Order: sequence, then structure tokens, then C-alpha cells
Amino acid sequence: MGDNKTLASAHKPIKVLDGIPMLIVCIIVVAALYILGITGIFSSNLMRYLMNIFLYITLGEMWNLLSGFTGMTSLGNQTFIGLAGFSVAVMTSTYKMSIWVGILVAVVIALVVSLLLSFVLFRMRGMYFAIATWVVAEAICTWFLSWKFVNQGGGMSIRAKPYPRVPEIYLMALTLCVIAMVVVYALLRTKTGLGLTAMRDDADASSSVGVNIFKSKLLVYVIAAIFTALAGAVFFVNKQTIYPSSGFDISWTVSMVFIVIIGGIGTVSGPVVGAIIYVLLSEILAKLPGWSNIILGAIAILVIIFLPDGIMGTLQKKLHFELFSQKRFSAPKKDLKTKAQMQA
Amino acid sequence: MGNILTFENVDAGYGRVQILHDLSFSVEEGEVYGVIGPNGCGKTTMFNALIGLIIPTKGKITFNGQDVTKVKPAARCHMGIGRTYQVPRPFEGMSVFENVLVAAVHGAGHSEHEGRGVALESLKLTDLYEKREIPAGELTLLDRKRLEIARALGTQPKLLLLDEVAAGLTEAEVQDVMKMVADLKAAGYSIIWIEHVIQTMVESTDHLMCMAEGHQLLIGEPRPVMESKEVEAVYLGVEEEDIEDE
Repeated sequence: MGDNKTLASAHKPIKVLDGIPMLIVCIIVVAALYILGITGIFSSNLMRYLMNIFLYITLGEMWNLLSGFTGMTSLGNQTFIGLAGFSVAVMTSTYKMSIWVGILVAVVIALVVSLLLSFVLFRMRGMYFAIATWVVAEAICTWFLSWKFVNQGGGMSIRAKPYPRVPEIYLMALTLCVIAMVVVYALLRTKTGLGLTAMRDDADASSSVGVNIFKSKLLVYVIAAIFTALAGAVFFVNKQTIYPSSGFDISWTVSMVFIVIIGGIGTVSGPVVGAIIYVLLSEILAKLPGWSNIILGAIAILVIIFLPDGIMGTLQKKLHFELFSQKRFSAPKKDLKTKAQMQA
Repeated sequence: MGNILTFENVDAGYGRVQILHDLSFSVEEGEVYGVIGPNGCGKTTMFNALIGLIIPTKGKITFNGQDVTKVKPAARCHMGIGRTYQVPRPFEGMSVFENVLVAAVHGAGHSEHEGRGVALESLKLTDLYEKREIPAGELTLLDRKRLEIARALGTQPKLLLLDEVAAGLTEAEVQDVMKMVADLKAAGYSIIWIEHVIQTMVESTDHLMCMAEGHQLLIGEPRPVMESKEVEAVYLGVEEEDIEDE
């Protein structure tokens, strides 16, 4: 038992920063973003950047929930982005409905499609699952290219009579992003969330200690599908036109992977950092057409080699803290405090 | 006491490769049931069939009076079958405590609050209490094996499956494991223990089954089984052709 102590003391206790102060900081930041957006202090240009950041955070959080927390690495989340964009386009321009109806339809379609796909996709694991999700996205894209109802490959536009202005779309994106992060964090703190990490580390072993793999996977996949669809819908409302090649583009997945890897896979805060970096970089690199993907790829490779835990993951490990943590301690927080006080 | 587990004429395997051939045996409640046999004889496959990772093509598995032949792994875990893996498979990204908490919450169906107590109890029984906040990926081999047992205990099983928990350990560590098994038996668990370390099988078990070619070769008191000619034959490879001919 002698080496127990040395082993234990080699591990600095991890400080979880998710107390009331952190909650207050989050509320202040979010409230500030709302107020600055509503009062028009932000310029339209700045709001466009921020809107993109919010949408990419949402996409990143969902990809991270699938891959980083559950072990379901998907290359086909663009399925839900494309379907959502076309849902809004069809509802607004073909059926002359409002944008909100379009978004509602997008959510219903994401729900139905993810439920249907789950029965096929969940038979596969790991790389096979990843490739199958991509194949589904490509297949739907090909179908849309020849489907008259969605104007084949000719693209569709989104029309609405009072068309939402930039500040309104900004608020939609911000609200979506906040809800997405709250949902992910809340899910990870539930019993199911505890099982997800076990499942990611070893699916068979987790099922032999009672984790219901199919149910957990289904829940995560449906949540990811719905929020990815919502982000896609808002994105195309801002863009106003959609083509199968833009909606079902694999580059959506490339950006989600980039955001999560750079920010820190398996951390809730990682995609936030990743999305900010991604949007800023893409803006700068837009001036170097042709080079942008090469530079983004090079950055991703460097990060994977030198910071395999991503920016937030590395920071948390080096500085022994965790933000939006899903960690469970053996003693209730109060006990920990009294112990720390006694030592001090 | 009655039987907690019976295998009746079970055939099972992976895809088209059949490993278990007409396997039958039964385990009494509260006993330590040893399983030996040469490599590849189907011991681990028997565990996989028992926990539901593979479904038998023929025969019947009864656990605690219920037919579980086709029940899913998670459901069997809820019914009270807890297993350890031969090569420890901890959830490496989680702490030792969290590993066991998953079992207590998902396997035994507790809330996280109740599960905490169950998890700590399991960690105490397996001597891991002091290391509970360490990431499971950093444990030594003995501690990983302990964690396998702690995690199985976290599911609050009636029947505990130990798959070569003593393999690769030093003699002193093997003694630790034997003491732990004796404690668990005293605590009322029924245990099936697969092991190659002969000493553990002779000293710690109540009944011993020797398997060969996916079938029960001999079942009985540990010492007579160990000393029998048939067991010697399968281990030393004597009369190998005869056995294959059968």
C-alpha cells in the first residue's frame, strides 16, 4: 500500500469551475451578446461573424457529442444540414409558408430521418459507422440533384415576406447556440451521460455493466440531428439560397472536425474556442483562395501532433481544472471543501 | 441450496465457427465454481454466451430460475450477472470511482446519489478505495484486475464471473486475489472462476469443471478432477488424436 500514496499525490486534484460564479459569468456573457445585438451597437458585419460563430459552435457541439462523448464518429452530419435547408426553402418558396413553419418542418424531418437511419447505422461501429453516415449524405445529395420537387440541381431560394433581418437571424443563432450548449451539458450530467463516456471507452464492457447502448446512442443521435438541422436551417435563412452541393457538402463535416479537434475533443468548452478560431481563420484565408484548405489542414495536423487534446483539453490538463465538467467525484462537494479547509 | 445457473446442451460460437458443443453444467447458489481447460477450449466463449454477447444456436441457459438464453447483455446485468474481462477493459477516460459508478447506476439501477455508496463499498471490498480518484488508464495490472471485479460488484450481481483474474500476477498478488475471492464468497456471492493458475483452482473452488473442445470433460470436487487422467491428457496433449477422433 506504500506506493498508493505516491501515486495519489502525483495527481493534483482537478478543480471543477462549474460553480455559481461560472454560471454568473456565463449569464453575463450571454446577456451582453443579446443586449448588444438588440440595441444595434454591433455592426451588421460583426453580427454576421458572430452569427457564423454561434452556428459553428452548435454544429461543433453536436459533432463532439457524437464523436467526443459517445464514440460515434460521424462523417454525415451534413445530411441534416441539407435536409433542413431544403425544408425551409420548400416550405417558404413552394408552399409560401413562414420561415418558422420551415424550421419546424426541418426539425420534424431531422427527427424522422435520424430515427429511420438509426436502425441501419447502429449496426455498424467505428469506421464503418463513419463511412456509412457519409454514404447516406452523398446518396441523399445525388437524389436531390435529380428530384424535380427540389428543382434538381438548380438550387432553391428561401422567400419570406418580411424577410428576417441580420439582427433577427443573429438572435436566432445566439439562442440556438445557448440552448445547444445547455442541452449538451445537461445531458452529460444525467445518468445517461455518465453511461455515454463508458460506452465511448469500451462499448462491450459498458453493456456488460448495464449501459443500454442502443437507447443511449439513439438519444444522442436524435439530439445531434435536430440541433444540426436547426443550425443548418438558420444558416440557409441567412444565405437565402441552397443547392444540393452546398447543403450536403462534406466540407461541413470537415469544418466540424476541425473545430472540435482544435478546440478539444470531449470537452464542452472546446467547440466554442474551435469555432471562434475557425470563423476568424476562414475570414482571413478567404483572401487566399485555393490556399485556405491547405492552411486549415496544416493547422489541424500540427494541433493533432503537438496538442492532441486540443486547446481547451491541453489547458485543462496542464492547469488541472475543468470547465463544464462531466466529472463525478466520490465525495459530495461539501465534503471536499471541508477536507480542503482542514488541510489549510 | 438450489442452482443459480444451468447450461443445458448449449451450442454457441462466432458466425459459422462453433466453439461450444453440447455444453451442460450447473452452479449452486453461494459456491465458487472453477473452470479450467486448455487454451481455445471455449471458457471465455462460455462467459460470452452467459452474459449475452453471443446467443446460443442450441440449448438453454437458466439463471436464477429464468430462461435467459436470448436476453440482451444489459438486461442480464440487471438480473444479476456481473462479469470481469480476461484482459482488463477499464473505461480509461474515467476515474476509478466513475468506472464503478457507471456499474452501480446502470447495472444496479441506482440514482447517482445512491450509486455513490454502492461504488465506494465495491472499491473497499477490492482494496481500491485509496485510488478512487485516479484515472483508470493509469492503474497497474493488479489494480486493473481489481477494478474489473469492483465494477462487476458495482452492478450488485448475484453471480460473479471472474475471467483469469490471477493470470500474469506474482505469487503474492495471487494470494491477494484468493483472499478477495474468499471474502466475496463469504459476502454471499456465487462465483464462476476461469483460471489457469492451478493452485487457485484447487484451493479456492467448491466444484471444478474441466472443459475440452467446447464440452464439459469432467466435473467434480476440485482435487479429484485435477488429478484425473482425462484432465492430464488434455493438458499434456497425450492421446490428442483419440480426442480429436471423438
